[in-house]
Amino acid sequence: MSSEFDTEQSEAAARQRPLSPIDMLVPALIFVFCGIVTYLALHLDTAPPIVVGDAMQPRSFPMFLMALIALLNAVLVWQLTAGAYMPRVSQPPATWITMALMIVFYTLTTYIDLFVALIVVIFTMCLVWGERRVWLAGLVSLITPFSIFLLFDLVLRIRFPRGVLTNLYYG
Amino acid sequence: MTEAIVAMASVMTDPYLLLLIFLTTIVGVIIGALPGLGATTGAALLLPFTLTMEPVHAIAVLATIYCAATFAGSITAILINTPGTSAAAATCLDGYPLAQRGEAGRALGIAVVSSTIGGLFSVIVLAIAAPMLARVAYEFRPPEYFALTLFGLSMLASISAGGAVKNLMGGLFGVWLATIGADKSTSIERFMFGNDNLYEGLHFVPVMIGLFAMSELLIQSTRLNQIVETVAMKAVQLPTMADYKKIWKTILRSCGIGTFIGILPAEGATVASMIGYSEARRWSKNKEEFGKGAIEGIAGAEAANNAATGGAMVPTMVLGIPGSGTTAVILVGLMVHGLRPGPYLFTQQVDKVYAIFGAMFVANLMFLVLGLYAAKLFARVSLVPTAVLWPIVFALSVIGAYALNQSLQDVWIVMIFGVLGYFMRRFGFAVAPVAIGLILGEMVETNLQNSLKIFDGQWWLIATQPLAAFFLILSFLGLCGPALYGWITKRRA
Repeated sequence: MSSEFDTEQSEAAARQRPLSPIDMLVPALIFVFCGIVTYLALHLDTAPPIVVGDAMQPRSFPMFLMALIALLNAVLVWQLTAGAYMPRVSQPPATWITMALMIVFYTLTTYIDLFVALIVVIFTMCLVWGERRVWLAGLVSLITPFSIFLLFDLVLRIRFPRGVLTNLYYG
Repeated sequence: MTEAIVAMASVMTDPYLLLLIFLTTIVGVIIGALPGLGATTGAALLLPFTLTMEPVHAIAVLATIYCAATFAGSITAILINTPGTSAAAATCLDGYPLAQRGEAGRALGIAVVSSTIGGLFSVIVLAIAAPMLARVAYEFRPPEYFALTLFGLSMLASISAGGAVKNLMGGLFGVWLATIGADKSTSIERFMFGNDNLYEGLHFVPVMIGLFAMSELLIQSTRLNQIVETVAMKAVQLPTMADYKKIWKTILRSCGIGTFIGILPAEGATVASMIGYSEARRWSKNKEEFGKGAIEGIAGAEAANNAATGGAMVPTMVLGIPGSGTTAVILVGLMVHGLRPGPYLFTQQVDKVYAIFGAMFVANLMFLVLGLYAAKLFARVSLVPTAVLWPIVFALSVIGAYALNQSLQDVWIVMIFGVLGYFMRRFGFAVAPVAIGLILGEMVETNLQNSLKIFDGQWWLIATQPLAAFFLILSFLGLCGPALYGWITKRRA
């Protein structure tokens, strides 16, 4: 389902509570982001006037964008103080574990093998997301990477990065 | 015109393309029937699979997914009260109550027929309107293009998800993402942090897969305890003559509404279906039936959301401005396959353009057949366990992102944008504006820079060009329209 449904659910809950400093966390992070990007833009190289002509320096456009975002963020803060809502987020453990699995995927892909990483992540994700049949999780975690590998290698002619498993195939 | 009709009909003489459309329609209906996997996510996931295809076949696949998945969202909306796509949310309002009364087959029949009529109508409008708009677009120079892209961004203020301010912030953030890499005119590196792989900027495909597919995966991880109750259905029934008499005006009205809303940059099937539904209610003689299983409600929403598909392709192909999240992915597909969207597409590669339109036309007919005869089967797809489905989506996302440039960096980009998209959505920001902003970003900056060169740095002279001024006024209305409308409504109340 799309985001508007999440927003609607959060909205109903959020409207029942008063505004707290934590609601200002997101706008505060956005202001910090704008500040960092503007700082980085200010330190970009300057193009010689003969190249730029009457147009803008490469730093100007991102700075202009950040100014606009900051302005809109100020409007958002005003809306929040005027009774608008900011959805309060509480993540279930499965979400945090799924995010952690992405880091596991990155580590395994970098140091061992892309397909080993896929097998481990798919298997763990199936179990974390509530699949009680371990055999099914195992089957899915083996069949999916194998099918994808065959499809991409044989049909789409995609060469995968070398690793423990792919070395067995590529030789 | 004859050339166009011949090019559209050429689809029928290409058995491989017909087979591809048929198979993709099945995939599209399955994707649409799975809650969470909408047309946008489906198109983003399938984009890497089209890499080795000819451009026409590749875009036909993506366009077919768009049409089929938009329709299929209604299957789960009617049978399990969960819209497969956000565009089918309005269909739930009357589709599910009708199904609960034991008339699920009738509800699905009306949804299929209305969707098909809406889809076919919009493809015809697309085939007629796109070349006309292309002729106008020949006159566009950098100031006009700059004003037009500004109009596209301003329309983000009124899309359904998120609020106007949040959507605009998302759009501007997307535009900023487009500045990453070497500046096109000066080659000065921006925000690359020493990573040479970013020299040409962020690749669109991994960003799209991250924002749409990976963020949806994380959203789904918060809904693991949802219980789905399915309404029993015997078979899909075609509407009776009495039904047609009741809904034909609604369908026609929604065809017009959907196509018009679809043509507006950044608006899409979701907005179209909401307006189609509310207009159906407003003009109905039986308002009290709405919300309790009114067939006009189903027809109004479904004809409008499928009519928006063809409409949304008009600005996408003629101007390079995506009409919705899904067309943003299709636009990326066009670029990946070397078809540069814009008015010249209609003179230099007219046969390809019309073959794509023809494919959309055929796709609409195919989902009519599939919807009537296999909806019951497709409804079962929604019962696939989440714990099995989404890990597979994860694998398809990362491998799909890798496949385009055979770069692991693209895989990391998918994950970064997946997490970013997830938190954006949890805090009420929609992700489609970021995708649209990213696509429009280069157009905005390049055309602004070129306009400044034309007018010797006097930017205000952009507004002296009649067409540019027209788009700037529209942009102002796009930005202030929702606020003005709210203020007027409040005063009336």
